[in-house]
Amino acid sequence: MASTEGRRTQLLRGVLDLCLLAVMEEGPAYGYEMTKRLRARGLSIVGEGSIYPLLGRLERDGVVETRRAASNGGPPRKYYSLSREGARALKAGVSEWQATRDAVDGALGLVKAEVRP
Amino acid sequence: MSDFVEECRREWKRLGVPDPVANEMAADLTADLQEAEAEGGSPEDVLGNSAFDPRRFAASWAVARGVTSPLASEERPSRWRPTVAIALTVLLGILTVAAGLALVVGVRGRSVAIATRRIVAVPGPIRVFPSGLGRIVPGPLGPFMETQISGIGLHPLALLLLIVGVVGLALLAVLYWWPWSGSRRYHRQRDQRSPSWN
Repeated sequence: MASTEGRRTQLLRGVLDLCLLAVMEEGPAYGYEMTKRLRARGLSIVGEGSIYPLLGRLERDGVVETRRAASNGGPPRKYYSLSREGARALKAGVSEWQATRDAVDGALGLVKAEVRP
Repeated sequence: MSDFVEECRREWKRLGVPDPVANEMAADLTADLQEAEAEGGSPEDVLGNSAFDPRRFAASWAVARGVTSPLASEERPSRWRPTVAIALTVLLGILTVAAGLALVVGVRGRSVAIATRRIVAVPGPIRVFPSGLGRIVPGPLGPFMETQISGIGLHPLALLLLIVGVVGLALLAVLYWWPWSGSRRYHRQRDQRSPSWN
């Protein structure tokens, strides 16, 4: 049986790419900016892995596009944005996630459990 | 530049990541870390628990970007290390067994002697000369030889070698052979933490 932390990591592993694509839908963002957007939506990566390797893979797969631009008063940053293929992948992924979530909710819904923040 | 970024740079260099790519990744990372620090955050806010394992982080990022191969990012096992460990283990084992046998068989009282002078017979009282002069006088001068030749007792020598052997084997066991130690521990920990999201 996986520990609580191990399960959270495994669950995140399967959907973090979707979460990154979702925050990119807000607009182009650099690495740490995406981390902050995720946190603002209630998803903290503290205690989990870094998003940089995942961003690298998304870039290599052509799901995101990048450009280097000046940030607000800071050094030039690498901005990530959704490619056309990325936008399609996001829609498909969200649909898949919702179906999976509903099915899991159906299986677990009757179990009374204390929900931790 | 932070120690973390420096460590990443070293790893990218080891992996053969092209300099322009390494510079770009280092610049992005530095800018993000500085921004987090300016906001009162920590490296963990930017890197998650990868903040504790720069080499693993750097390697997984380089692999994800396709600028190094997954095989290259694996810890390269040293060729000489197992050989040296085996040789040391055998040597210390032989040393320990030999010292133990020497103690068990009972060599107490015997000695290994190193003669630094020769006792020669000359007219008059017995005198001691530096080596090379005269001839060695056998038998009858035995009692004098006992007093003139310095030596090391075998019993303490065997005991010392036994201790060296046992301590050496124990250190080797802890540093290399024990399953949870040394480089093996690194691999186990590496698998348990720092998910790379790949």
